[in-house]
Amino acid sequence: MVTIITTIRRRHMSTEPVSQHDPLALAGLMQLVSPALPIGAFAWSQGLESALELGWVDDEASLGEWLAGVLDDGLTRCELPVLARAHRAWAEGDAEALAHWNDWLQANRETRELLEEEQRLGGTLVRLLRSLDQVPVAPVMPETPGYIVAFALAARVRGVSCEDAMLGFAWAWLENQLTVACKALPLGQTSAQRLVERLRPALVAAVTEAQALEDDDLGPALPGLALASALHETQYSRLFRS
Amino acid sequence: MTDLSFPGQAASPGEGAGQTPSGGSGHRFDTRRHWAASLSLGFRDRDGRTRMTRARHHGPLRVQRPFYPETGHIPDARYAEPCHVYLLHPPGGLVSGDELRIDIEAERGAHALLTTPAATKLYRADSHGVCWGQHTHLTVRPGALLEWLPQETLCFDGARGMQSTTLDVQGDGCCVGWEVLALGRPASQLPFVSGRVEQRFALTRDGRPLWRERQPLDPMHSRFHGYWGQGGSTVQATLWAVGLTAPQAAVEALRECLPASRHWAVTQRRDVLLLRYLGDERNAAWEVCQQAWEVLRPWLSSRQASVPRIWMT
Repeated sequence: MVTIITTIRRRHMSTEPVSQHDPLALAGLMQLVSPALPIGAFAWSQGLESALELGWVDDEASLGEWLAGVLDDGLTRCELPVLARAHRAWAEGDAEALAHWNDWLQANRETRELLEEEQRLGGTLVRLLRSLDQVPVAPVMPETPGYIVAFALAARVRGVSCEDAMLGFAWAWLENQLTVACKALPLGQTSAQRLVERLRPALVAAVTEAQALEDDDLGPALPGLALASALHETQYSRLFRS
Repeated sequence: MTDLSFPGQAASPGEGAGQTPSGGSGHRFDTRRHWAASLSLGFRDRDGRTRMTRARHHGPLRVQRPFYPETGHIPDARYAEPCHVYLLHPPGGLVSGDELRIDIEAERGAHALLTTPAATKLYRADSHGVCWGQHTHLTVRPGALLEWLPQETLCFDGARGMQSTTLDVQGDGCCVGWEVLALGRPASQLPFVSGRVEQRFALTRDGRPLWRERQPLDPMHSRFHGYWGQGGSTVQATLWAVGLTAPQAAVEALRECLPASRHWAVTQRRDVLLLRYLGDERNAAWEVCQQAWEVLRPWLSSRQASVPRIWMT
């Protein structure tokens, strides 16, 4: 296992900037994962609102289990490894790989709302990057870019390493999910911070595990979330768009 | 980049020359136990009737003579008269080392409906933990309709294996199908508490991935009981439909016609309609799927659904 990770790291390092000692890159990552980034992430709950409605999540403990599960069976096996591949593709100017992983990820989106979320956030982030003159001419941006490929580009442009981009992405997900829970459950602010403390190490572990996965191992395994998200399409009272 | 075959699909352990102790039948009972069976069917429009123009089989996987229960002229029919075919696997179930490959192709204008006369049983793995595999590959050419409606798969405690469904749709080809999976034998109080089964789906249209899904079923994993995963459910079903001209309207029709429940939900994305059931009732899962198919049939073809008689026996 250690050998695999080392090999993969080495492969990444050859083309990656090392952001650990680059304060400018760190500030760029903070910019990217800040809730103030104007892409409208706050409007989406990724099925969590439906899980609350169904009574599957109703307190701090059950929310912690839900988040740990989604991190393990969702982000670790899907978003994070695809983010790593997209980050590499931007670095290497590989438009074909970018288009492939963008398409592959969207084919894995279980429901209409989850796909919409991917496409809306991606489209908005790409527009923002264009306004900042941060979209390169080559490689070509994939058709209907999702959030993952856009996030990978934004990180790349800021000199954020692949590993840090993955951790930042996972962090933004966790913080957004907790914000959803604080609004909709509602969950207390201290409970939310307790969950952050509990899940911070899990985020780091998820990034390490995601880096070791081969292409054939990828794909989320979230049947309950998929059902909840499809039920959300007809949920009577809703605060969020997914 | 469009290679969507599944890992291990091409592997055929134990087939090396002189390695089969039982005189070439492929039977052996060690870690390289392997018994392959394959079936390859092709359907074509011949003068307004869908004919099975190819039927090749190897090993214990057969078809009965095709039949035509949906007779009668339909004005403006998009497809030839449908051909119904029952797939038979005389052993009745899969054990360690079994490797089933089903390859079905519908040519332009053809309309084929495939089902099975009984549930497929997946038995407990042998003491070596050797896996079984069932790989279905459906090819739908432009202007064809393929309906893949097998009866459910019953997965007994200790079963280990992989069930994959690869859908290769071209142009305006249409495909509707399902996989219904029930874990354990609740009637005999023999729940699925060990083993590992994985179900995979990969649907491409003109080589582009539209839908991919994997469902690893491992009772030792936290997702088996966690709500984000199986939530402890023992029955699951996945129904797909691709090639609908108005998928969102079809989604609304299903919501209108089927009794609402928190155990099933329908959505559509990337032109693929997906209905999923998660619960504990085999009959409920089957009914949701069958009713959904009946509602969807007029959206796919100008013929009403004609329920295969074998389902009623």
